[in-house]
Amino acid sequence: MGRMSTTRGFRSLADQLRGWTDERLSTLLSERPDLATPAPHDFGQLASRAAVRTSVVRALDGLTRLELTVLDALVVSGQTTPTELCTSVQADPGAVKAALRRLTDLVLVWESTGGLRPLTGVAEGLTGGPEAGVSGLRPRSAEPLSPSDVGTRLAELSAPARALLDHVLEQGGEATTSAARHTVSPREAANPAEELLSRRLLVPRGTGTVVLPGEVGLVLRGGTTTSEPADRVPGLATTAREQALVDRVAGGAAFELVRRLELLLDHWGTHPAPALRSGGLGVRELKAAATFLHVDQQAAALIIECASTAGLLASRADTDGNLVWVPTDVFDTWSAQDVPARWSAVARSWLESPRMPGLVGSRDPAGKPWNVLTPELAARTMPEARLMTLQVLAGLPPGQVLAAGTGVPSLLARLAWLRPRRPRSRADQVAWTVEEAAALGATGLGGLASYARVLLDGGDPHDTMAALLPEPVDHVLIQADLTAVAPGPLESSLARRLQLLADVESRGGATTYRFTPGSVRRALDLGWTAAEVHEFLGTVSRTPVPQPLTYLVDDTVRTFGAIRVGQAESFLRADDETALTELLHHPKVGPLGLRRLAPTVLISSTPIEVLLPRLRDLGAAPVVEAADGTVRVTRPDQLRARTPRARRAAAANAHESARIAATITAIRSGDRAAASRPATGTTLSPSGSLTALREAIEIGGAVLIGYVDNHGTATDRIVDPLSVEGGQLTARDHRSDDVRTFAVHRITTVKSLDGPS
Amino acid sequence: MNDGPLIVQSDKTLLLEIDHAQAAACRRAIAPFAELERSPEHIHTYRLTPLGLWNARAAGHDAEQVVDTLLEFSRYAVPHALLVDVAETMARYGRLRLEKHPVHGLVMVSNDRPVLEEVLRAKKIAGMIGERLDDDTVAVHASERGNLKQALLKLGWPAEDFAGYVDGEAHPIALDESEWHLRDYQRDAAESFWHGGSGVVVLPCGAGKTLVGAAAMAQAQATTLILVTNTVSARQWKDELVRRTSLTEDEIGEYSGAVKEIRPVTIATYQVMTTRRKGVYSHLELLDARDWGLIVYDEVHLLPAPIFRMTANLQARRRIGLTATLVREDGREGDVFSLIGPKRYDAPWKDIEAQGWIAPADCVEVRVTLPTHERIAYATADPEERYRLASCTHHKVQVVRDLVAQHPGQPTLVIGQYLDQLDELAAALDAPVIKGETPVKERQRLFEAFRSGEVGLLVVSKVANFSIDLPSAEVAIQVSGSFGSRQEEAQRLGRLLRPKTDGRSAHFYTIVSRDTVDADFAQNRQRFLAEQGYAYRIMDAEDLPA
Repeated sequence: MGRMSTTRGFRSLADQLRGWTDERLSTLLSERPDLATPAPHDFGQLASRAAVRTSVVRALDGLTRLELTVLDALVVSGQTTPTELCTSVQADPGAVKAALRRLTDLVLVWESTGGLRPLTGVAEGLTGGPEAGVSGLRPRSAEPLSPSDVGTRLAELSAPARALLDHVLEQGGEATTSAARHTVSPREAANPAEELLSRRLLVPRGTGTVVLPGEVGLVLRGGTTTSEPADRVPGLATTAREQALVDRVAGGAAFELVRRLELLLDHWGTHPAPALRSGGLGVRELKAAATFLHVDQQAAALIIECASTAGLLASRADTDGNLVWVPTDVFDTWSAQDVPARWSAVARSWLESPRMPGLVGSRDPAGKPWNVLTPELAARTMPEARLMTLQVLAGLPPGQVLAAGTGVPSLLARLAWLRPRRPRSRADQVAWTVEEAAALGATGLGGLASYARVLLDGGDPHDTMAALLPEPVDHVLIQADLTAVAPGPLESSLARRLQLLADVESRGGATTYRFTPGSVRRALDLGWTAAEVHEFLGTVSRTPVPQPLTYLVDDTVRTFGAIRVGQAESFLRADDETALTELLHHPKVGPLGLRRLAPTVLISSTPIEVLLPRLRDLGAAPVVEAADGTVRVTRPDQLRARTPRARRAAAANAHESARIAATITAIRSGDRAAASRPATGTTLSPSGSLTALREAIEIGGAVLIGYVDNHGTATDRIVDPLSVEGGQLTARDHRSDDVRTFAVHRITTVKSLDGPS
Repeated sequence: MNDGPLIVQSDKTLLLEIDHAQAAACRRAIAPFAELERSPEHIHTYRLTPLGLWNARAAGHDAEQVVDTLLEFSRYAVPHALLVDVAETMARYGRLRLEKHPVHGLVMVSNDRPVLEEVLRAKKIAGMIGERLDDDTVAVHASERGNLKQALLKLGWPAEDFAGYVDGEAHPIALDESEWHLRDYQRDAAESFWHGGSGVVVLPCGAGKTLVGAAAMAQAQATTLILVTNTVSARQWKDELVRRTSLTEDEIGEYSGAVKEIRPVTIATYQVMTTRRKGVYSHLELLDARDWGLIVYDEVHLLPAPIFRMTANLQARRRIGLTATLVREDGREGDVFSLIGPKRYDAPWKDIEAQGWIAPADCVEVRVTLPTHERIAYATADPEERYRLASCTHHKVQVVRDLVAQHPGQPTLVIGQYLDQLDELAAALDAPVIKGETPVKERQRLFEAFRSGEVGLLVVSKVANFSIDLPSAEVAIQVSGSFGSRQEEAQRLGRLLRPKTDGRSAHFYTIVSRDTVDADFAQNRQRFLAEQGYAYRIMDAEDLPA
């Protein structure tokens, strides 16, 4: 049973790989990139590397529940044929075969001369419960009973024995029994354990341990490894929503994100946010940013993280040598682009980012709160979780979105099926992704936006998105209550100029500005003249400028500059005596050390940097006068940091296929060189020994090794290699007939004894 | 992109472009749940507040309607977070209900146990509730009905009050519409109130709030207690009720500092209600003197805090609040909501003006420049003295005289804060003056003379701010005010907004001293006017035609 002779099949995994086309090899190397770095010398080494435990585990992590179930069934069956395997998996045979093909492509399964075999290491790597595709059945015994035999023997059992058998199956197929005799006939059996042992329904393994062989477990489960179907993909809870509505909601969120990013970074350009010593951003700064942006802290954390991953925000030392967060020079080019281009840049970097802003606000295992921008706030699995979540959403039929309450749990169930081996944190990661995607505008109302779909497919979402966003406007409506409303996003240059002249009161699709004496004075401070202000207002307003605003500007101009402040000796002079008297008698000028010098001149003992803002606080409108009597205007410096080095991942994509092709060529040539080398009696390098031993493990059977023991004595031993891990070979030594370990670096030669060498 | 008239901002303001074709429809649709914050000439600003949303819930609107309305009229995509917030806020109203219980009297019931648990654990609530009757029901001390509602609102779980009202002592009252007719909006307002049980009706000055009160009384057919701001206003209420309803003078009592009558319809002043002797409110018994079926609160926005406390104990009686604005300078809008009731009716000023019920107004700010010696006096004065110094400048007298001369034959009010200044003006203009110390009789005589046209110019202090009907006033000149109170500005403008027979527009002048706190305060007040849609001009006193 089970050992079917087949004309196909390969002597070793390396042989099988040698026969593969370049396309198939490149699929393997791109799906399991760890096999290609560093490039293996030949196919022997490639095959050996594929069986390394960490690599196997990584490959297993990327399998669906069905694929894992098929692999598990193969481990239970041992060597077998595809057709036979199909019968032991409770799933559609077509699906099983497809899964098998993928497993073969990933070299988790290979075709030996004796039939399909799982790669060594796979059996140990398959951990977890039924949800991870692990049936808990033991491999079949070497000489398995036929299912009908098992059936007959099961029928003979007493009720307690049957109960015991079921119990052992549920407990993972292994049990300990000290009292039971191992060699009894069914008739002599004195207790349930002996009943089972005598019928070979349990098989002794070592002292006091019995196992339930796979063929018995299969019959108990009704012929398949699992009692549940393995190919039933969990459905998603959805509701109907028009795609147009989804796009509108998402477009609104995307617009908001870009707007807030620009707002915050603009602000931090002049008022940098202090960085923590650990590199993150403190809770207080986060709170301030959230208040500034009118969002909650979660949303602020996401915006800040997005800015950082998109390369728009970085830390640098300020003039005092303290670390601060400021926008990078990329921010300037970024903010010159239109909204769709800006959004795509941010969304792309978010997709690939391992950052987890969702953790901000909670505490790490040590009880410390997670800070935004902290380097540790990242997980390797995050990009995959994001991508898979969005891909599942992309798979929804048009007009369907995730249901409000039940949608996320169903999404989670689907992902648990697609990647059963992912860590426990996945539930959080998926929930965060759903929230972040909504905040980012990749989704709306639980459905993927049409432009985000384009982005996921690797396209440019620019045009799709541009159609959804409000058109920039070039005018405002000025009203008598001294507000101006821009009924849409203002053109960037216009917005910047208007922001000088008026304070922003409310933002969103539209922007409300308010003119105050202070805001008008700010523009005058920057060198605007009254005529310029009037002209600007006249051109930008679609309605007549209300009289009170005209009056406000003129009135501000009238008082503006009435007091002039000198820098050299810090003097205050004004043509208006009373203005100075007024200032001098202000109850709050004490600390400024003002003294009247002449009817029209005051001096101050305060440095001008301190004096000037104080005077403005007190309501005066001074201008700074240079030594030659001209008026000086100043504006705050805009700080920029250097853009962080481009991450490798971005560049890697372009060269990926070329690199893989080069690797394959190298392997082929290395392989030819190895084949032409004399095969016998050579002393091997440790990596050569590893390759040879792994190959022996795959094929099964004995090898002759030359081994130097602790005392320096060289011996030749015949061993059956079982596994190679951590520089140690575990093998059954024919001479002592027990399992022992050998240090790989002491093995001088490896020679196969079974096949033609 | 939708071409709607509404822009929904992420800070929960709604901008309505009023020149848009759909603006009127949109305004009607959003009025139930959004508070009109500003209504200048082009774009009106509404705000979504929890109170506004709960008002809408109380009026029977649900979150879905609100969200649909926003999506329907919005020009751009509506921020998702805002929609979620609207739904969540509205869902908070009515999770807790106050109901009548056959055995335990008043109970608080919840269909959402976690909310009930949260609320019961709040310290403030502890003293107001009795035993837990079952998982979802808690007994409430009947006397704490109002306090509990107030406390629950503060916790963010406003309760819906289904406990009903006592009918009160029946008393026949009918509107006497032989010579006049209730206007449509007045009828709507009274009906909305009656169906809602208790609540507040918001109508601009001059829109006939007294008649809404009278209509509510006619609905109630029961003894009524009316609380008003002052004695003059009490007399006006009395006159109006005698004129417009079947009530006779004998049925209406006045309960004020001077007279203490308790009749089927009693009008009491806030002042008398809040008078204390030895720390005790000595007139509290009035509230229980009769089995009142309806309580009318005039000028709710001025309701003093002690009256709120008294009102907490009157929750079993129907309550109607009348006001021109829900904005309170002290920010106690929440108390109005929980103790008197949600807003039941609201109409924007400009709408009513457009319907011709109130007069349009021309607002002008006149700036005078202080002479140098006054500027120096001002600059060296103590901060608390500055406003008085600036607003009482002698310069203003001449400007007032010029303005009065510009409007010959038009009934004019000169309004001020400082008595010295008023006396000076009265002497300069040779006009009678009404101040706090003027006896009520004399006040009434002068007001009557002004109404009849016998006196064409009146100098008044802030006693005239509220509830005194001077429908004939066409020009108001404001020389000083109480530190930029928006309330006051609305009231003073209100003096002028009673419709004029010939449709002439009213004139509202404010005289301020340039470059002083007077001008700063004036800015505050004007902002309010501009936000109400009254465009104003600023002039220099020198530019006035002499």
